[in-house]
Order: sequence, then structure tokens, then C-alpha cells
Amino acid sequence: MIISSYMRTEHRACDELFSTAEKSVIDGNFEQAEEQFLLFANDTLRHFKKEEESLFPTFEELTGSTEGPTRIMKFEHEQVRGLIGKMAEAVENKDSDAYLSLAESMMILLQQHNMKEEQMLYAMCDRTIPQDLKESTLEAMKAIEL
Amino acid sequence: MFSQGGLSLEQAPPISVVMKFFITASIFGLLLGLYLLVSSSGLLTYSAYAYNVTITHFLALGVMASFMLGALFQMLPVIAGVVIKMPTKKSMVVHVLLMVGIFLQLFAFNTSISLLYLFSAIILGSALLHATTVMIKELLNVQDHSSSSKGMLLSLGSFTIAIFLGIYLLLTLGGYIKGDSFAQVKEAHYSFALFGWVALLIVSVSFQVVEMFYVTPKYPTIMSKYLVTTIAMLLVLKLIALFTSLPTVGIDLILALLFIAYGVITLHRLYKRKRPTSDATVWFWRLGMGLLIISMVITALGTISSIDEGLKMLSYLAFIGFALSIVFAMNYKIVPFLTWFHLSNQGYMEAPMMHDVIHPKKAKIHFYIHVAMLLAWSLFILFNPPMIDILASLLVVLSFGWLLYHLIFAVKKYNYTQKHTEKMEW
Repeated sequence: MIISSYMRTEHRACDELFSTAEKSVIDGNFEQAEEQFLLFANDTLRHFKKEEESLFPTFEELTGSTEGPTRIMKFEHEQVRGLIGKMAEAVENKDSDAYLSLAESMMILLQQHNMKEEQMLYAMCDRTIPQDLKESTLEAMKAIEL
Repeated sequence: MFSQGGLSLEQAPPISVVMKFFITASIFGLLLGLYLLVSSSGLLTYSAYAYNVTITHFLALGVMASFMLGALFQMLPVIAGVVIKMPTKKSMVVHVLLMVGIFLQLFAFNTSISLLYLFSAIILGSALLHATTVMIKELLNVQDHSSSSKGMLLSLGSFTIAIFLGIYLLLTLGGYIKGDSFAQVKEAHYSFALFGWVALLIVSVSFQVVEMFYVTPKYPTIMSKYLVTTIAMLLVLKLIALFTSLPTVGIDLILALLFIAYGVITLHRLYKRKRPTSDATVWFWRLGMGLLIISMVITALGTISSIDEGLKMLSYLAFIGFALSIVFAMNYKIVPFLTWFHLSNQGYMEAPMMHDVIHPKKAKIHFYIHVAMLLAWSLFILFNPPMIDILASLLVVLSFGWLLYHLIFAVKKYNYTQKHTEKMEW
């Protein structure tokens, strides 16, 4: 279950960053919030890139389908990217109400997305990808930068 | 989940499917408040029996079933990966028959007209059985059940049993059948409806939404894996015990202890949540769990010693408070999110943000009204000072009126955005 374990750890790390940025906004500390939000946004986007450029293509090649779960996951990535842009604008404008409002949508969107990946997609990847290919995919993902 | 294509919010039904049930539930809540107001002010008097069953069914069917069926139409695709085909048409049939059926039933309770019992059994039974059959059929096709989807299935199964038992009771009251087992069926009907349908659904949904909304640690595996099945099995055992004249106190005690454990663990999860926000929905969840624990502690006490009538009433009130608190918590997350989500997905660049649909401050005000309402009814039960029942009834009207206003506001906001703002074609 090396894929599940690695990806789940990344999800949890993003949750932590998201929560610390949200706390700073609530406390009115926008300078800190901006830094923390940037960390969250970068880590989330890097995580998406790892999936879209390495994990998903490996999975799609093995299953012979690009129209299955990975298509839906990519669609949801786009939704999250859109929200990241709006949240960046809100934190830059020091608009806490707008930020917290967007944070609500982001959290629901992201959490239900993560749950599906963790409960289904990663488990499917761990089951279908052969061990050596899994290890090389994991190494390739670790090397990906934004 | 994936293989059925029933994945996620992308597959969610139109927002109108959910909203019509939520608005109907709020209207029934408002009517319940008016009914309580009329009876507490002495304008009309009812028999104690009519009064009790009317209030119970106003709440259980008018408010809770409407909210919960609406939420299920929305949540089955998201949580269980189940797609209900033609959701608008199917939900409309359920919605119309449910409204007509509830009114017929409430009139039957208050007039004792035999034909009304028959018609309400047919129409209400058709509405609810249609809903449960549609949902159960789809849930049975799920290959890998999560604890939530399994819980939903068992909850809907419990509801189906409660419906059949309810039809038996209505036909007995109408004089259409002899009803030799009326007392046992009544006890089983309440157990399956309250512990099976209402509580089991809340438990199973919470396994996913508490974690999803508030980023909490996961529930202990032993609980998420076995709790819902254990509760369902205990309810079946209770049914068997009731019809074989065996004692049921042991089963009631275990059920109460399981719900206490669930309440304590959920409170602990909320305490350990990663998100720093402490909005009204968090408070509704905390209150709901606290009330569930109170209700179940009294129930447990009642199984090992005799408790007075006031304490029993307090236990019922706490259970109602628990169920309503969770429903309100869900409402204030689901409605703003869906409004934003559907409009954004349709390409409306000016889709209102969640706080513009229902601001957390408005939800917080509802929380205070809800607490005041529960306190007023507690005072009525314990001390019965003058005019307190009138005040408590007014607070019921205010509570559901407040929610109804904000639901209508959300619908108006949704329609306004569709009519008057620019849409980007994908």
C-alpha cells in the first residue's frame, strides 16, 4: 500500500497547512496567513501535478482507460485550482469574510475529493500496479517539483 | 463507487430536489409551532392521545422525514456513490404523496374519522415505501460498502420496517383490522423509527461528514465498522423479543450505552478537529451529541430503575433536540455549499459565496433560538411556570420561521444569479 500511504500523508499535510492559514485569517494576522496559504497552495498544486503527470498516466495505461475515475479526479482538480485563485485574491485583499467563505467551499470540495481518492483510487492503484512499477512511480512523484 | 459512475458532486441531483424537501420540512416545523401555540393558549383543546401523536408525527414525518429524505437524495451520490435515475421525477412523487399523506394522517389523529386513517395509510405508505425502495434498490448494488453506505442501507431498512408497522397501527386505529398486537407493534414502530431510521442515519452520515466538514481524526475502526450493524441487529432482536413476550430492557440498555459511546466519541472528534473555526454548525453538533448523551443516560437509568414521568419527558425532549440540532447543522452546510457549487458548475462567474447565501452569523442566531426553545420546554416539563408553554411554542415558530426565511433567501439568490448574471459557456 505504498501509494496509498504516501498520498494520504500528503493529504494530511495539506490539511494542516490549510488549517494554520485559516487560523491566521481568523486571528487577523494576514501576513502570516498569506505565507501559510502560499505553502498550502504550492503543496496542493504539486500533489495534483504528481497525480496528473505520474500516477494517473500509469494507472490509465494499465487499465486502458482515460475516461474512468482519473477523468473525474482531474475535473475536480480544476475546481480546486479555481478556488485557490480566488482565495489568494481574498488573502491578498485582507478580506477575511471572503476568505473564510471560500475556505468553507474549499474544505468540502477537497475533503470529499480526498476521501474518494483514499478509499477507492489509491487502493485501486496499489492493487493493479505491479510492485516494481509502483516503486518507480513513487520515485518519479517524489522528484516532481512545481 | 467508480465503476458505477456514481461519483461525487458531479452526479448530484438538481438543487431543487433537495430544497423542496428542506423548505417543506421547515413549513411543517412552523405549523407544529402554531399547533403547539393554539393548544397551549387554550384556543382549542385536544385529547392527550391526539395531542401526543400529532406532535410526534409532525416532528417525525413532517420535519425529520422531509429533511432526511431530501438530504438522502443529495447525499447518496456523494457519500455512497449511488446514482438515483430521474431524481426530479422520483422525488416529486415522494414529495407530493408525503405532504398529502402527512396532512391526512394528522387530520385522522385529530378527528378519528375511519376513512382518513385508511387513506393516510395508503398515501403515506406509498410515498415512504416508494422512497425507501428506490434508495435501497440502488444501495444494494454497491459492491464495496463503506461504513456510511452500509449504515444508510440499514437505516432505510429500519425505516421500511417502521413504515409497515405504522400502516398496521393506522389500519387498527381506523378499525380495518383487529390489531391484536397493537401494543407490541407500537413499541417496535417507535424503536425502528427513532433508533433505526433517525439515529442510525445520523450515525452513518456522521462517519463521513464530521471528518469532511471539520477535518477531525477518523472514528475508531471498531466503531465505524461495527456500530451500525450492531444497532440494527439489536433492533431486530427487540422485535423478536416483543413478539415472543421476552423482556427487552437488556436490549434497550445496550442500545442506550452504544449511543452514549457514539456521542462521547463524536464530541471528542470535534474537540480534536484541525479546523479552527467554531461556527454555528460545530455548536449544533456539540449540542446534538450532548443531548443524545442526556437522552440515552435517562433511557439507561429507566431500564435499571423506575424513573418519574418528568424525567422520561426530558429524555424525549433531549432526543428531539439531538435530531433537530444535527439536521440544522447539516442544513447550514449543505444549502450554502450546494447553491455555490451548482451555480459555479453551471459557469456563473458571480456565483454567491457560501457566506453570501447564509451567513454564519445568521446560523448562530438560529442556534441561540434553538437553545432557548429547548430550555423553555425543559422548564415547562420540570417546573411549568405560567405562560412558559406559550413562550416555548413561540420559540418553535421562530426557530423554523428563521430557517424557512433563510432557505427561501437561498432559493431567491440562486434564481437571481441564474437570471441576472453572466454565464460562461464551457
